[in-house]
Order: sequence, then structure tokens, then C-alpha cells
Amino acid sequence: MPNEEPSVLKQLARLSTIGVTLVAATAIGLAIGYGLDRWLGTSPWLTLTFTLFGIAAGFVNLFRDVGLIGRGRQ
Amino acid sequence: MATEATKKRSGGKGIWILLGILVVVNLALGIRFAPRHVELEHPAIVQLPNFLAFLGVPGEWMPPHITFTWLVMAILVIGGALGTRALRPVPGPLQNFVEVVIEAFSGLLDQMIGRQGRQFLPFIGTAGLFILTSNLLGNIPGFRPPTANWNTTVALAVTVFLYYNYCGIRKHGLLNYLKHFCGPVLPLAPIMFVIEFIGHLARPVSLSIRLFGNIFGEESVIVILLSLAWLVMPYFIWLGIMLPLSLFTSVVQTFVFIMLSMVYIAGAVEEGHGEEHH
Repeated sequence: MPNEEPSVLKQLARLSTIGVTLVAATAIGLAIGYGLDRWLGTSPWLTLTFTLFGIAAGFVNLFRDVGLIGRGRQ
Repeated sequence: MATEATKKRSGGKGIWILLGILVVVNLALGIRFAPRHVELEHPAIVQLPNFLAFLGVPGEWMPPHITFTWLVMAILVIGGALGTRALRPVPGPLQNFVEVVIEAFSGLLDQMIGRQGRQFLPFIGTAGLFILTSNLLGNIPGFRPPTANWNTTVALAVTVFLYYNYCGIRKHGLLNYLKHFCGPVLPLAPIMFVIEFIGHLARPVSLSIRLFGNIFGEESVIVILLSLAWLVMPYFIWLGIMLPLSLFTSVVQTFVFIMLSMVYIAGAVEEGHGEEHH
């Protein structure tokens, strides 16, 4: 049992991270950009930039989780 | 016994007639006594009077997730104390159980982090046992799992976030740890730094939302089903479908949480340095 059970659970765990991570990274980027815009008064630009960064971060995390880039962790 | 035999003798048709009658009776009862509202929370079994009002805690009673957090803490502390009180070379049943649990956690740590994994056993084990206990507690009607409240899961996820960053900084030093954020290509370093930074900030958000969402959703469905339990049918749906499903969810969500914590710790501790030979 210790040989089979963890691997199935592990795959479940890894795959269940995908959706939430993508959204969370985008939302964090949007929040940072919006906050900086409110603070510095440079209205749309920082929001746009950081949202794009957030989307990029989401995809980087996604590919890393799936194991396409970086050292895929067993 | 006798009724089962009669059902079998009638060629399997009797069970369908019985089910049909049950559904009709259910519907009749439901139309006669249909509640005007569906409960969204069942009353908590354990309640403490609010003795922290001077700190700004609202309400007449303590918020249930805090009460049940303390209950889970009490269960864990008492269980740990009883399990390790009289350690013997030939373990009794309770000590055996504790040993099995610890073995499971440390085996997982060895698998995920490697040779240096055992030093994270106190942190990972505490988080895992707390989440598992509170998730399983939520399956008993009248008990509310603390993890069905976002505040609890945010506290857990922020702890994990701070802890793995602390481990990385302790292992590599602040500058080396920040250098890992910048990626291998020098001209892209500022962009990669921002992207990695946002990615790391997204980790506690996704950790906390995943655990909270799963447990809260499961809890809501169970509460709605049980508030209709006088209709008989929802009770059987709860017993037959939701209870096994929510037991499974409890274990899987605990596993997901501690496994992601271990992946984050492993990434912080050994990223970019490769294996050091001792």
C-alpha cells in the first residue's frame, strides 16, 4: 500500500493546484498594480503592467507545477 | 430478515414499489411541512461565552471557528500527552498508533525533501494533524470544522509562507536566496524577479482558498441535507453519498496542503544549489 497510495494522491495533489494557482497569481498581480496606481497616481499603466506580470507568473507557476520547465519534482 | 426474504421472493419488484412509496410519502410530507427556509448553519454543540469582548471580539458567544480551534488543539494536546506518557520498547495500542502516524509523516518527508527532510517534521506534522483533525471533526453533525473558515486557513497558509522563506534564507543567506528569484539569464533578471515575486505571493492565497473552499463547500452541502433530514431521503443521501465523499475530501485536502508545503520548503531549501556532498 505505501508504494501505490501516495503516488495517486500525489498526482491528485499536483493537478488540483493548477486552476487556483493561475487565478491567484493573476489576482495578486492585479492587486499590486491597482495599489501602486492608487499610491503613485499613474492611473492605468501600473495596473496593466502588473496584471500582465501576474498572468505571466501564473503561467510560470503552472508550467513549473506540471513539470514542463525547471526541474520537475517527483 | 423476514422482510428481506419476502422482497427477494417477489422477484426484485417489491423493492421498487417500496422505493416508490417512500418517494411519494416524502413528497407528500414535503408539501405538507415544507420549511420556508433552509438552514445554512447548524447550531454548534460546543459554545463558550464571549470572555474576550474587551479585545473587540463581537457577539455574545465566542465565534464557533475559534471555539472549535481550541477543541482541536485540546484533542491534539491530550492525545499527544497520552500517547507519549509512558513510552515502552514494546508499544501499547495508543503508542503504536502515534508511531504509525509519525512514521507516515516522516516517510512522506523523506520522499519529498530528501535527506534533510526530517528536520521539518515538527512543522509539517503539526499542520497536517491539525488540518486532518479539524476536517474529520467537521463530518460529525453539530461540530464545525475550523478549516471551513477562511481566517483559519489564511493563518495556516501565511505560516507556511513565512516558514519556507525563513528556511530558505537560513540555508542560503538573504542575498543568495533572492538571487534564486532572478533566473539564469541576466538581462531578464528584473522581469523574472517580479514574476517570481508575484508567483510566491500567490502561493499562500491558493493554499488557503483551496482548503477553505473545499471544506466550506462540503460543510454547506451537509448542513443543507441534514436540515432537510425530516424528509428521510436527504438523510440517506447524506449517509450514503456525502459522508464517504467528505471523509475522502478531508484526507485528500490535508494531504494536498502538507504536500504543497513540503514542495515549497524543498524548493526554498535546495533550489539551484544541487546536491551537496557530505
